[in-house]
Amino acid sequence: MSIAAPASAKFVFGTRDRPGRSVWLLLGPCIAYLVIFSIYPLFHSLRLSLTDLTAATGTGNFVGLDNYRALLVDPQFWNAAWNSAVMVSLSVAIQVVLGVALAMFFNLQLRGSWIVRGILLLPMLMTPIVVGVMWRALLNPDWGLVDWAIKAVGLTPPDWLGTVSMSMVTVIMVDCWQWTPFVFMIVFARLQALPQEVFEAAQVDGAGPVVTFRRITLPMLRPAIVFAAVFRAVDAFRSFDLIYGLSYGGPARSTTTLSFFSFQNGFQFQNYGYAAAVAYMMLIILAVGTTVLLQYVQLRPGNSR
Amino acid sequence: MKFRPGRIIAYLFLIVLAVVGAAPFLYLVVLSTKKRIEILAQVPPKLTFTWVQAAKNYNEVLFSQGMLSFTLNSLIVVSIATAIALVIGTPAAYAFSRLRFQNSERLASTILSMRFMPPIAVAIPLFLMVKAAGLQDSYPGLILPYVAFSLPLVVWIMIGFFDEIPGEIDEAALIDGCTRVSALWYVMLPIVRPGLVTAALFGALFIWNEFLVALYVIDSRAFQTISLGAATLVSAQRPIDWNIAATVGVVTVIPILIFSLFVQRYIVRGITAGAVK
Repeated sequence: MSIAAPASAKFVFGTRDRPGRSVWLLLGPCIAYLVIFSIYPLFHSLRLSLTDLTAATGTGNFVGLDNYRALLVDPQFWNAAWNSAVMVSLSVAIQVVLGVALAMFFNLQLRGSWIVRGILLLPMLMTPIVVGVMWRALLNPDWGLVDWAIKAVGLTPPDWLGTVSMSMVTVIMVDCWQWTPFVFMIVFARLQALPQEVFEAAQVDGAGPVVTFRRITLPMLRPAIVFAAVFRAVDAFRSFDLIYGLSYGGPARSTTTLSFFSFQNGFQFQNYGYAAAVAYMMLIILAVGTTVLLQYVQLRPGNSR
Repeated sequence: MKFRPGRIIAYLFLIVLAVVGAAPFLYLVVLSTKKRIEILAQVPPKLTFTWVQAAKNYNEVLFSQGMLSFTLNSLIVVSIATAIALVIGTPAAYAFSRLRFQNSERLASTILSMRFMPPIAVAIPLFLMVKAAGLQDSYPGLILPYVAFSLPLVVWIMIGFFDEIPGEIDEAALIDGCTRVSALWYVMLPIVRPGLVTAALFGALFIWNEFLVALYVIDSRAFQTISLGAATLVSAQRPIDWNIAATVGVVTVIPILIFSLFVQRYIVRGITAGAVK
């Protein structure tokens, strides 16, 4: 009874560590900060989404689920949801395939390949706004370098950002330029850490390169691939700056994703309640999506095996 | 030497990769040295460039258009916010790595999951909070939200680094009479310095590139950050002066580029944090 250790805590170290106080000293500021500046805004956002607050009216009245009801019959919301789905699925699929291929290629350990690995860091570090503007220059139909190169080999370049059918393809292409290196880096790091004996054993058993890749390399890379895919899916889903810089959601809303749609409602139309409802729909999709995906990997650093 | 066609193809591919990665940025650099008319007339742009025109463009962008002051704003906001995030986040990561208390795993994954929160979900409430506190158009108005954004990132990266240090080291300090807090300060921090660099780098990079919250919070040009300044410069003028737009782009990227040259290995560490063990 009274001898029983407090069931609430099992400590790594014994009595000298006065755990109760240390825990709060170490964790308290972080938790307090996040509660004030992340958790509270999240609830605030939920509350906003149940009001008709706009910058014009000033005081938002409680309207219950009206915003959500309106969303579900808003064709522009479904257009944005569809655009997000297309962007996330295609971006992730392409980046995973290319990233794994690149990792296998760099695993050849060509002399000097570390320099190119360094160069591939550059796209990831660039400000997304600038990436968007930079590609608008490269893809300019009149004087852009890419169009010139395509014309130089005798082909007709597509109207990258000018047509509804092409603009989302262009956004995805630029997203892949910027983020395929991310998938590559993660998969490559994992590849380098794999035990060599397994590959030697496979070689002894007479497995060819294709069989080795499919039966040994790929399964062992799976955790890293899933990790990278989850990361990229979430980031592509919430991506906003790239679209702002590259296509501004157009033409004809063909690149308006959920993030951009929420931004337009919140910032341009200052329809805060509606924008918050869109953001909350995104959070719900994210929560469901990542919970499902995270069944596959434990995301905490240190025990991701 | 034996002629090996496979090798040559592999090296050609490597060169192609280098070009695909670097050429867009180099193109930007070339455009930033041209006159407006030259960009429209020379296709592809000639690689001859005149220092005079380059100086004109950069002078215009840095001084007349205010990119220098935007850069300074960013440097101030980035360094203060990153420092606060490190001071708050590092002890938390240490606690998650070493102490097992009730719901510690759940708490840790809640914090880490905030790394995935779309900024748009909190941008409006944060903006309303900042406005209510009268902090629009001020450094604190940006720093307070930015600390919240980079905290999960810092905790995430630091847990990985603390997990790598054998527990015996701080246990020895505890036996010698340290508390957890003093063990962290005197024993662990010196060992985990590479982790601090990595976490600082990623927190800083995130804030440097952040755009949405700045767009909501900042109205006055005097407090624009570098990404916000870049965005308004290239969207305000229609049609865009492409030589100016390109120069703005180069100005935004150069600080990151210089920074990353020195700390490349930390960047790779940070990107792969949590992915490989």
